This record gives sequence, C-alpha cells and structure tokens, in this order.
Amino acid sequence: MKRETSTLQWLAVFLVSFIAIVVVPCLNAFTPELSSYHISNFTLNLWGKYFCYGTVAITVDLLWGYTGLLSLGQCLFFALGAYMMGMYLMRMIGNLGQYHQPIPDFLVFLGWTRLPPFWRPFSNFPFAVAMVALLPGLLAFVFGFLAFRSRIRGVYFSILTQALTYAACLLFFRNDILMGGNNGFTDFKFMLGYDLRSAGTQRGLYVASAIFLLIVYLGFKQLTLTRLGKVQRAIRDSENRVLFSGYAAANYKLFIFVLASIVAAMAGALYVPQVGIINPSEMGTDRSLEAVVWVAVGGRGTLVGPIIGAIFVNVLKSWSTRAYPDYWPIFLGGMFLLVVIFLPRGLVGLAEHGVNLFKKMRSAPEPEPAPPSPEADSAAVNPAAVK
Amino acid sequence: MTKSVLRRGPGRVRKGIFSLIFLPLLLLAGLPAFADQQPESPATRQALAKAITAEGDQQIKDVTALADTHSDLVRKVLNAWPLDELYIIDAPDGSKIPCMLDDAQDADGKQKAIRIDTGAFLNDASGKPQSFFANDLTSVDTDMRLRRAIQDTLDLMALSDPNPEARKNAVMKLGMLQKLSYVPILEARLAKETNGNVRAAIGEAVATIELKDPDSAVQIAAIQKLGELGSMGSRDVMQSIIESAKTNPAEMKAAKKSLALIDAHIARVNFFGTIFRGLSLGSILLVVAIGLAITFGLMGVINMAHGELIAVGAYTCYVVENVFSSGLWLSPFGFSMHLPGLNLGGWMYQSYFVFAIIASFITAALVGIVLEVFVIRFLYRRPLESLLATWGVSLILQQLFHLVFGAANVQVNSPAWLSGNFTIDDVTLGYNRIFVIGFAAVIVLCTWLLLTKTPLGLLIRAVMQNRNMAACMGVRTERVNMLTFAFGSGLAGLAGAFLSQIGNVGPSLGQNYIVDCFMTVVVGGVGNLFGTVYSALGIGTVDEILQQVFGSPVVGKITVLVCIILFLQWRPSGLFATKGRGLEG
Repeated sequence: MKRETSTLQWLAVFLVSFIAIVVVPCLNAFTPELSSYHISNFTLNLWGKYFCYGTVAITVDLLWGYTGLLSLGQCLFFALGAYMMGMYLMRMIGNLGQYHQPIPDFLVFLGWTRLPPFWRPFSNFPFAVAMVALLPGLLAFVFGFLAFRSRIRGVYFSILTQALTYAACLLFFRNDILMGGNNGFTDFKFMLGYDLRSAGTQRGLYVASAIFLLIVYLGFKQLTLTRLGKVQRAIRDSENRVLFSGYAAANYKLFIFVLASIVAAMAGALYVPQVGIINPSEMGTDRSLEAVVWVAVGGRGTLVGPIIGAIFVNVLKSWSTRAYPDYWPIFLGGMFLLVVIFLPRGLVGLAEHGVNLFKKMRSAPEPEPAPPSPEADSAAVNPAAVK
Repeated sequence: MTKSVLRRGPGRVRKGIFSLIFLPLLLLAGLPAFADQQPESPATRQALAKAITAEGDQQIKDVTALADTHSDLVRKVLNAWPLDELYIIDAPDGSKIPCMLDDAQDADGKQKAIRIDTGAFLNDASGKPQSFFANDLTSVDTDMRLRRAIQDTLDLMALSDPNPEARKNAVMKLGMLQKLSYVPILEARLAKETNGNVRAAIGEAVATIELKDPDSAVQIAAIQKLGELGSMGSRDVMQSIIESAKTNPAEMKAAKKSLALIDAHIARVNFFGTIFRGLSLGSILLVVAIGLAITFGLMGVINMAHGELIAVGAYTCYVVENVFSSGLWLSPFGFSMHLPGLNLGGWMYQSYFVFAIIASFITAALVGIVLEVFVIRFLYRRPLESLLATWGVSLILQQLFHLVFGAANVQVNSPAWLSGNFTIDDVTLGYNRIFVIGFAAVIVLCTWLLLTKTPLGLLIRAVMQNRNMAACMGVRTERVNMLTFAFGSGLAGLAGAFLSQIGNVGPSLGQNYIVDCFMTVVVGGVGNLFGTVYSALGIGTVDEILQQVFGSPVVGKITVLVCIILFLQWRPSGLFATKGRGLEG
C-alpha cells in the first residue's frame, strides 16, 4: 500500500477543501436565490451534517482500519459530545422556552424549580467545550483501560463496545438522570450570542465542520506516518509480535481509542447546533453500526475512504428516503452485503483497482507486479481470535 | 384453621343469629347457575326501580338491601349507575321511569330505552318503542355516599360469583373495608365454600375485620392469626396498630410479633418469587441465545441477523395461529394476499402452538440455509466482516417484515394452556414461565444429544474445531457448515415461537434481544454450550434480583451490562474458556 502522498493527491486535497470551505459558502452567501449557481441553506446544512459524519467515520477507521479495533460504540462518544454541547445550548435558550422559566423546559416539566447543580456550569461556553472533550475522553479512558488491560480483542472488543453503547442508550432514555429523557434536547435558539436559526450562523457552522474535518484528516495523516502510526498498524497485523518486541500494545491502543473518542465527541458538538436536536436514539447501537458501514463502503485502511463512504452513503440515504422510503433499508443492507463480499476495500479499493487496470492497459507488454491483494488486510484481522 | 376462624368472643352471639338469617339467602346465591336461568322476578325489578327513584338515606338503604337479590340485572344496573348510564325518563303522566339504553344503535345513533321496572321497551303513545339520544337524557344522580353504597353492594354480591377468582377478590376487598357487619356474611360463606383458596381468603378477611373488634381478646387473637397466616395484605394495618397510641401493651406485643412473622413471610415469598422469575428469565435468555451459541460460539460467525431469525420464528407462529383460526390478509409489496383459515375451535385450535413450534424451526432453518449459501459461506475467514454482512441481512429482513406484516406490532393469541397461573403459598407461578423452563431444558438436551451422540454431531464438532483438517479427512465441510448454521437458525426460530407468546411481535422484535444474546454467549465462554446455559441462568437471576433491589427494570439491566463488562475483566474469555495451546486462541 502506498503511504507517501504524491503531489497530485495533495493538489486534489487542496482543491476539494478549497471548494468545500471557500467556494460553497460563497455561492450560498453571494449569489441570488434563483441563480443556477446558488446553493440553498438546506443543502449547505445537509453537507455540514455530512462532514460531521465524515469525521466520525475517520475515527472509526483510525480504530478499525489502522489498529484493528472494530468499535461498535463510536456513536456513543459522538452523542455524548453532542449532549454536552446540547446542555450549553439548552442554557442559552434562557426563558424563551414554552414555560418562560429560566431553566430548560423538560426540567420544569419534571417539577424542578431550580437548576440541578451539575447543569450550572454549562452556561459557560469554554466549560461546555472542555466537557465535550473531557467526559467522552474519560469514559473512553476508563473503558479502554479495562478492556485493553485484560487483552480483550477482536470480536470481544466489538461486542463489549456494543454493550457499553446499549447500556448508555438505556440510561439516557431515563428521565431521572435529568438529560431530557426520551425527547432529548431541542428547540435551541442561540450559540455564543448568534441566532442559530439565521442563515449566517448556519454557514459559520458549516465552515467550522468542514475545517474541522480537514484538520482531523491532515492530523490523522500525520499521525499514521509517525512511529506511533507504525506500531498501530503492527498491532493490527500481529499484536503478539508487537508485545514480544517489547512494546506496551495496550498503551498505544488506549491512546488511539481515547483520541478517536474525543474527536468523535467534537464532531458531535459541531453536529448538534446544525441539526437542532439530540436524543438517545443517536447513541443507539444501530447508529454506530451505520458509521462502520460508511467506513466499509468507502474503504478502510485509507483516510479518504471513510469520508467518501460517509458522504456517499448519506447522499444516497437522503435521496432514497425521499424517493423510496420503504426500500431504503433494503438498499442499505444490500449495498452493504455486496461491498463486504465483493469489495472488501470499498470504493477506494475499487478506484485503485481501476487505476491499476488502466496503467496495465497502457503498458500492456511489460509484466506488472500484481496489485496489492485485498485479502492481505482482512486476513490480518485474526480469524483465530474467534475460536 | 376453620376452627380458629370461627373462634369468637362472647359478644358475637347476636351476630351469629344475624348470620342465620343471611344463610338461606347465601345458600340461594351458592347456586348461581340455577339463579341465572330464572327470569328476573317482578319483585326484584320493583325493588330496583324503587331504589333508583328513592331519595337520600332511604335510597342508600334500598340499594344496600339489593345485595340480597343476587340477580344479574341488579349487578348490571348497579354497575351502570355510577357511570351515568342509568336514566330517568319523564312519562307523559308525570311519573318518573328509570331506564337503561339498549346496546343496539339505530342509523341516527339513537338507542331504545328498556324500562327497569318491567324489562320491556319504553313505548310512546302509539305503542311503538321510543328511541333516544344518550346525551339528551337525564342520568340518575349519584353522590359519594351512594357510590360507596353501590360499590359495597356489588362487592357483597360478588361473594357468590361463580368464578372462584372473583369470589376471592371480593372476599379480600370486604376484608380490607374492616366492617364488623361483614363478619357473619363471610362466615356464612365459609360454611359452604368449597374452594380452598377462597376459604383461606375468607379466614384472612375475617381476621382482618376482627382487628377492629372492640373486644381486646378478639383483637389479639386476630392479630396472632394474621401473623400465623403471614397475611401480606394486613401488613399496613398491623403497622398502624403498632403506631397507634390507643394500642394496649398486650396488643402491641402480639402485633409486633405478627408483623415480624408477616415480614419474614414476605421476604420468603419475594425470595422464591425472585428465584423463580430469575430462572424463567434465564430460560428465556437461554432459549434465545442457544442458537447464537451454535452460530457464533461454535461456527465463529458473528451473526447480527440472529435477532431477525428469532423474528422469523415469531412471525411464523403468528401465521400458523391465524391459519388455525380465521385466516390472514397480507399485503406484501402492494399485492394483496389471503391465507385461508381452518376456523378450528376448541382443543384443535389450542394445539396450534405445537405445529407453530415445528413450523418456526423449519422456516428459520430454511432462512438460515439461504443466508449461509449466499452470504456467510464467503466470510468464514473474516469474522469481523461477517458481523457487517449479517447486519446488512438484518436490515433487509427487518424491512421485509415491515413490508409484509406491517409496521405495527401484531398480537399472537396464546393457547389456554399457556395463559394463567397458579399460586403456591403466595408465590405466583405463571404457566408460560413454567413452560419456558421446561422448553429450555428440552432444547438444551436435544442440542447436546445431537452434538455428542449422533454422527452428524461428530462431524459438526470436527469441522468447527478445524475446518481444513476435517476437509482433508474427507468431511464435506460445506455441507456440515450449512447444516450447522441451519440448526442454529432453527433454534432461533424456536425462541421466536416462544417470544410470540409472552409479548407482541414486531419487525424489531429481534433487536431487543441481540445484545443480550451476545452477552450471554460471551459470558458463558464462546464455543462452550454449557457455559451458555450457566451464564443465561446466572444473568437471568442476577437481573431479576437487581430489578428487585433497584425497583426498576431499566436500571437493573444497565447494572447487569456494567457487571458483565467488569466480569470480563476478571475472565476475559468467559466462564468456561475453551483451552487451546495456540497463542491466538
């Protein structure tokens, strides 16, 4: 697999980010609504959401594609980050809620007259942002520490993360933890004094999501090139050899797991002001599996793959839920089956295969080295682990 | 026991005579079948009409007197009264006629009026039945006192209900009212009551009432008796006796002793109840997880579609049930389709569940075969990807259920022999809970026999231990894989058939169980069938105990999940790890 990035690829990254970060918002802001170049607020908002999904997908890939840890709980961290930001946004509603009370509506509904103590500091934006990183990070640290210390790996790790997510989801459905219960948080009004319902604020959030995705992409790209990145891939390919070579594999895995969780949580924090609602169904076990689908469809083991996968699947979803609402889950499931069985390296793998084929045809007489086997990666996820 | 119930203080003779007067009436009431066949006597109707039109204290007296009639009509009218479904219609001559409306409505929504005093329709001047809008009529007023009198009368009448359960409830209700005047009535009932449960309830109710007796000796005897009976219902009363300032020391001593006895009894009942519910919950877990113990545990396929295979079984049961009764309309993909029903009744219908169990196993096994041949076959070497592929399958299946059977949950009627329960010493044992324990035992036994005592079982174990080696020895591993997967899927179908009996069936039925299934198998130790048995029963019992402790199923469940995560710290490969020498094993 190629690890260096060619000038051409850098150029592509630059071009795509330039379009996403500069051109698209400008088209939204400065073109008349009826012009064919105009990008509507709705579309912009949608793509802001896709970028947040893309960020989650990258973190899933960092864990799965690069470290061999298939986490089925990445959306838990995403939703936790979203909840932390949601608490701040709920405080910013002030007394504009249904009950015109200085505390959030659902608390009034539950019979509270004063703000519960743990809600108080969330009026402070820096505190809320700190919590976005700290709380999911802490949870990931504790869970990861326990899991990696006792060498839970492979399928067991996946199932445990799923159990953790399920437990958290059940917990957040309850009213008595004072996090909005079933309905979660919604009806947000202001963020840092800006009106969330205005097009300008939404544009700002879109740009922030795009920039955040770019930073995460570049950061992870750098990370995978360092020694840590090499150990990470070594753990994926043969954890025992890493252990025998004297590396504390658990610590590396823990670092990656916590990092991925914090990044996913931040994506959640950017996501919630854009969609305007957060409820426990966002942390259900199926959401995390869906994030894994994005990575598998895009192509795991590459950093572009997850972004492409997340955007591709979600564009398809937006279209087909409108066009064929009854058949969308069948589409998704079917696509997934096909990808897993026939395209183990996803869309990126398919593209690389196409490029290789093209090169081969151009230099037909010369014998070419065989393209990297798609099986090489997947075999590394150890089949023996399930025994 | 009967003796102690009848033990009375000296002041009871007058009441004894009183009960003698009641006895013939109650004897009459003891023959409800006979009473039912009689047309309502005009006297009853007149008494009823009089009670309805009377005023104030007289009305309450009249209503109370109605208890002696034991007529179904009285019961019906008294039930309708507080609901404002009893009307007074002013006749042309100025008299007031109490009426109820007929059930049948005509085209305008009007209903005919039935006169209470004669039972005939209320006619207009020309002699035709008159119809009314319910809203236009004045209903007979009730106040708090009257409603209470009506309720008391109904309770008294329920003492002679043909259904023992209703009699028992009525007895318990009367006991709770603690009116001394009920003691003779209850004792009279005891004299001819044949049902053991009702007799016990009467004894308890009499003792509860006697707590209010002015005679201290009677009271103490009653307190002691309630303590001996371990009467859970009288715990609050006992508490209030202890807290009351008027209690004398002897009573206090007896009450404290009885309260301790009652508490011990409650603790015992809770303990056995929890153990029993825990066992049955564990059996449910076992039934749903044992299929996964084969497909995931033995074969290593992370089968996220396991939940949907369970749902296949449940829907099969639904279809079979409908075919045995009146048929079923389905509209898959916009087509309309009718499955004709056999319209069976009686035991023929009741036995549908036996066929449904077999059909569920076969259907789910067939789905499993399709799944294995088209998907799983390619993924034996890539376990993590089998997780993703089977999740795709689960999405497709869920949506198919949605399209074929509709988004709403459907209800499967349980056969009579699975609904209901019986009580041993206050511990309620539901038939379906007992059934699932036996069902789980049979399934485990059959699975064990299949795996260890048949040639196929030998092949299965060989292939699961080492596919390549088995293939080298000439085993047709592809077929063995397929059959094993089909067997695991069939077991999931069996679980579905049972789950359809304890709840509604919906497209996401399986999703509620999938995490639990994986937890059960992982805790038990992957690849070890008996590990799954132990872990299912253990998780079920712990879950039930934690639900008791926290008083909430959800908190209990969350705690169980956290406990499991911590447990796996201690034993990362489950209760019974499969031992191997391989480093990666």
